[in-house]
Amino acid sequence: MFGLVDAVSFYARAEKVFDPSIRHKPVVVLTNNDGCICAVCPLARQLGVPKFIPYFKIKSFLEKHNVVVRSSNYELYADLSDRMMNVIARYSDNHYVYSIDESFLHFKNFSSVNNWHKYGHMIRKAVWRETRLPVGVGFGATLTLAKAANHASKKLSGFDGVAVIDDTSSRKEILSRMSLTDVWGIGNKLGKRLSILGLNNGWDLANQSPKVMRSQFGVVVERTVNELNGMPCLQWDEIGQDKQEIFSTRSFGKRVTDEYTLKAALSSHASIVAAKVRRQGSLIKRLVIFASSSPHDDRYYKKSFVYEFPMATDNTIKLVSAISYVFDNIYKQGVSFYRCGVGGVELESSLFRQKDMFTVSVNNPPLMKCYDEINHRYGRGSIEVAAAEKNDKWAMRRNFLSPSYTSKWSEIPKIIC
Amino acid sequence: MKVIPVYIEAGISGFESPAAEYKELNLSLEELLLQHPNATFFGLANGRSMEGRGIFNGDVLVVDRAEHVSNGCVIVANFNGCFVCKIIDTEKALLLSASSEHKPIEITSTDDFQIEGVVNVSFRLHKKLPTLLSCLV
Repeated sequence: MFGLVDAVSFYARAEKVFDPSIRHKPVVVLTNNDGCICAVCPLARQLGVPKFIPYFKIKSFLEKHNVVVRSSNYELYADLSDRMMNVIARYSDNHYVYSIDESFLHFKNFSSVNNWHKYGHMIRKAVWRETRLPVGVGFGATLTLAKAANHASKKLSGFDGVAVIDDTSSRKEILSRMSLTDVWGIGNKLGKRLSILGLNNGWDLANQSPKVMRSQFGVVVERTVNELNGMPCLQWDEIGQDKQEIFSTRSFGKRVTDEYTLKAALSSHASIVAAKVRRQGSLIKRLVIFASSSPHDDRYYKKSFVYEFPMATDNTIKLVSAISYVFDNIYKQGVSFYRCGVGGVELESSLFRQKDMFTVSVNNPPLMKCYDEINHRYGRGSIEVAAAEKNDKWAMRRNFLSPSYTSKWSEIPKIIC
Repeated sequence: MKVIPVYIEAGISGFESPAAEYKELNLSLEELLLQHPNATFFGLANGRSMEGRGIFNGDVLVVDRAEHVSNGCVIVANFNGCFVCKIIDTEKALLLSASSEHKPIEITSTDDFQIEGVVNVSFRLHKKLPTLLSCLV
C-alpha cells in the first residue's frame, strides 16, 4: 500500500499556526516580491479570491473584505514543513518527501494496519495536534492511486480528509469523479488530446488499453493507465526524476533601468542555473536568456534570446559569458525592466555525453567543484562571478512578512499571562 | 574488557586526550527541556497573572503540543485570538490564574478557544537579553 499526505493550502495555513488572531480570517500569501497571490486559505477561496492574480489588481477587493495579506515567509514554512514531515514519517516504514507540503508513504511491513481509513485519521490527528496544520490523506495500491485518493480526500464531497482506494468500487467511485487533468501525470495538453478520444474522466482513462495508449501517447501514459489499475510502475527514484529544463527567474524589488544592474541580475541567474545543473549531473546545450517590463505597463517590452553552446556545458563562467554575448540584443535604454531570467532548456546527461572530435571541451570540473564546495561550506554567494555582483535593487521585497516565530529569538510569539 | 578505539589521523599529534571518547556525553539543554522537540515551540510570557506558578513577565515558556492535558496543568491556549498562559480547570471549564489579583475566566460557547499546548517548563534569563525582550515592545 502507498499513501500520500499533503497539507491543505500549506502557506496560508502556516501563517495561522502562530498567529491566533487570523485563524478565522481569510488569508492570502504573495509570491516573491509580493507580485502575485500564490496561496489562498479556504476562507479566502470562499470569497472568490483567485490564485496567481497580480496583487495590485485585487488589492482593493482584499481590503474591502478584510483579507489578511502576507509575504512568503520561507523561514517559517521550511520549519513547519520539517515538523510536519517528522510526524508523518512515524506512520510508515518508508517515506519520500515529494515537495514542501507533500510526502509519499510506502507500507511494506505494515500488516498490522487493518483499517486504512482509521489509520489515515490517526495521521491527520497527529499532524494537527503537533503542528496545527490540516492535511489530506490518500491510500492506494500505486503512487498514482494514492495521489488520486489524496485528491478525493480534499476535493470531493463525501470525504472527510481521508480517502482509500482498496477495491474496484472505491476505485471507480473516485476515478469517475476526477477530471483527466486531475490524474497525476496528465497535463493540460495531454488532457485535451485524450478528451478528443472521448475520454471524460480518470475512470475512462483507466479502462483504456495500455498498449494502445503507449502507441499513441507514449510510455508515460501507458504507465499511468497501469498504475490506475493497481499495477505499480513508478518507484521512488522515478518520481524525483531529473529536470528537463532548469530556470532561474525573478521580478525585481525595484524597477531596473540601467544596463549594469540588469546584466548583474542575469549573470546571477546564470550562475544559479549552472549550480542547479551541476547538482543533477546535467550539461546545458541551449540557454534561454530573457528580460521584460511588466505586462501591465503601457508599452510591454519583452526580449528573449536562445544561445546555443558549441558543446554542452555546466561551467558558470561560460554561461555568464553567454549573457555578455547576447546582452546588447536584450537591453534597451528607457525600458524599466520588471523581470528577467535564465533557463537551461536542452539538457544532456554529463555521463552519457556525445564527444566531438573537433571541439575542445570548455568545461572545468575541478574549478566548478571547488566553487560549489566553497558555497556549500560558507553559504550561498560566498564566491560569485564578478559580473553577478549583488545590488539592493533586486533584493526580495517582502512588505507583509510575518515574524520568524520559530527561528529568531527576538520574534517568538508573545503569550499573555 | 573495553577497548578504547584509536582513530587514524593524519598529521603530527601528541598524546590523545584521555577524555576523547567521552565527548558525546556533553549535556544538551534541549534534551533536558524538550520532551517532544517536534511538537514544541517557545513563547515569551507577558504579564503577572502566573507568578504563583513561578512564571514571571519576560520568562520563556516551552509549549508542548504533544503533551497530555490534565486538570490543573499550565497550558497555553488560543483565547479569542490571543495566546494566553493559564491553569486549566477541565471540570468547570475555567481558566485560572496563579495570582489573587486575577479572577477565573469562564470559557463559554461563544468564546474562540483551543488549547495549544502544555507548559511543563519555563525559564528565565536573570540578565535579560535585549533581543529576547524586543518582542515584548
